[in-house]
Amino acid sequence: MIVVDDLRKSFGRRGEIKAVDGVSFTAPDGEITGLLGPNGAGKTTLLRMLATLIVPDAGAAAIDGYSIVGDRAGVRRRIGVLSDARGLYLRLTGRENIRYYGALHGLDADQLSARIGALVETLGIGAIADRPVHGYSQGERMKVAIARALVHDPPALLLDEPTNGLDIMSTRALRELLRTLAADGKCLLFSSHVMQEVSALCERIVILGHGRVVAAGTANELLARSGATTLEDAFVKLLGSAEGLAA
Amino acid sequence: MSKRFATIARKEIVDTWRDRRTIALMVLTALAVGPILMLLMLNLIANQVERAREIRLPVVGREHAPALIAYLERQQVTLLAAPADYEQKIRDGDLDVVLDIDPAFAADVAHGKAATVRLVFDRSRDRARPAIDQAQALLIGYAREWGRGRLLLRGVAPEVAMPLTIDLHDLATPQSSGSFVLFLVAFYGLFAAVMGGVAVALDITAGERERASLEPLLLTPAQPLELAIGKWLAVVTYDALIVVLTLTGFYLVLRYGPIPAVGIPFLFGPTEFFRFVVALLPLVLLVPAILVYIGCRGRTYKEAQSSVSLLLFAISIVPVAQMFLQRKEPGWVTWVPVSAQYALLTRALRGEALPALALAQSYALPLLLALGFLWLVARLLSRESVLAGR
Repeated sequence: MIVVDDLRKSFGRRGEIKAVDGVSFTAPDGEITGLLGPNGAGKTTLLRMLATLIVPDAGAAAIDGYSIVGDRAGVRRRIGVLSDARGLYLRLTGRENIRYYGALHGLDADQLSARIGALVETLGIGAIADRPVHGYSQGERMKVAIARALVHDPPALLLDEPTNGLDIMSTRALRELLRTLAADGKCLLFSSHVMQEVSALCERIVILGHGRVVAAGTANELLARSGATTLEDAFVKLLGSAEGLAA
Repeated sequence: MSKRFATIARKEIVDTWRDRRTIALMVLTALAVGPILMLLMLNLIANQVERAREIRLPVVGREHAPALIAYLERQQVTLLAAPADYEQKIRDGDLDVVLDIDPAFAADVAHGKAATVRLVFDRSRDRARPAIDQAQALLIGYAREWGRGRLLLRGVAPEVAMPLTIDLHDLATPQSSGSFVLFLVAFYGLFAAVMGGVAVALDITAGERERASLEPLLLTPAQPLELAIGKWLAVVTYDALIVVLTLTGFYLVLRYGPIPAVGIPFLFGPTEFFRFVVALLPLVLLVPAILVYIGCRGRTYKEAQSSVSLLLFAISIVPVAQMFLQRKEPGWVTWVPVSAQYALLTRALRGEALPALALAQSYALPLLLALGFLWLVARLLSRESVLAGR
């Protein structure tokens, strides 16, 4: 479970750019929580804070009770992260990419082999796993990046715009995979600026605008609160404009 | 901490090794360029030696001193008629030295005065020096022989006029001559240690950031210091490989290459090879640490590259300055990175053992600095701004 409480982060010389300005929400286990907002709403900054890459100016957040400020090592063991820039090593094979991260997470050789075998099986990348990554399609790269993020079996998964650059088939495959992971009891936090993406996948949606939570709830709750008939209208009403959002 | 840095180092080494084109280029350059340069140098020296051996001396006014001319011809000197504009030709470098015999030579001798000959040359021309020295030595030899004859005629032992015997005893071993080749080999050894790691270091730091694989890497439990050490070790490995390959190239060329007979037996055997490695090791440890730091600091690969060229310039100017500094090196040189290594390399090439104290001094600063740079790299990697370059 991810609990975010009044998280704040500013950039710039005098902190004049408030990237995240008092965000609070809860993402429960066994569900996919959507983080929807236009470009520049603070989604990436928020996820980077949760991933302990950057330190918040104020506020608190915890993953399974481990504070992102006080226990960074504990948090890192419990999260897997997938971003749109997959950051795979192109000259290594898919299996080597996964193995490297597993080794950095402290898995020993036996654990690694078993874990990688299982992931390769689940993701259906057995045929390509021993070829260098530079020959992979975007979809195949995404799968390897997911396997890498899951290699240490984290209970929580942070996904920053994971569908960028994927074709429809790969996007559908990713959705299927994420649903399976949620069904296994994992806590998934999925950020996107694509409305359809979020509404198709997420039970709960947190709408971000200008570093603040504009609205949060299930799709039906958001419809009811905005008085709109379609989700698209609801988002536009809640955000004040559709700028930066994609349908 | 455990062995995570070893995992990182191994991955970087494998990853770089797969980049076959870069590796092939690195290996080829290391093996070939040094030896090629060296062959060119040796041939140049061989030419100079040829010139020195065959003495050609243009003479003005040979009719004024037939005895001197006869003496010179006995010494196997090829005498030529000097052109009228010989002074200009010497200035232009077309002629090395010209002997000008005074028209009053015979008259002076007849009157019991010292006769005059002029040697005209331009000493600023390195190439001309052997010819100048030889002409001078020949004339001194003639004067001495002439004087001896006169003394003997008067029943005086020549030792009366020459109470001092100058016995020239050159302490230069055969290896310590040919200083320019010496410089070249030492310089190229340094060059290999400095350049060997550049491509790898930038690729696994600035390159990693540009390819967006740094952010996920920083998300793993690997500590910044482990990343710094791991990446540094990988660069050190390649740097050491390049140094060994470069030295192997020298070794092979000097042993089996078509070396012209330059009369400068030049020693670069297994012992010198080993001494070179020992002398260069501090740089092999230090330079990669600096390079990894520069790579992590640069926002882009290009930015890092321009910082590296500045570093390379600073480093390569040192041995050049040292070569022009003809005096004996001051004592503190043995402490200064690059300078100390260069001094040790030239010693090794002269066939000397490396003194333990100088060696220890040459290790001290590079080791400290390497640790310092690793610490700086770790600090950089733990900063939030390390991600901002993307």
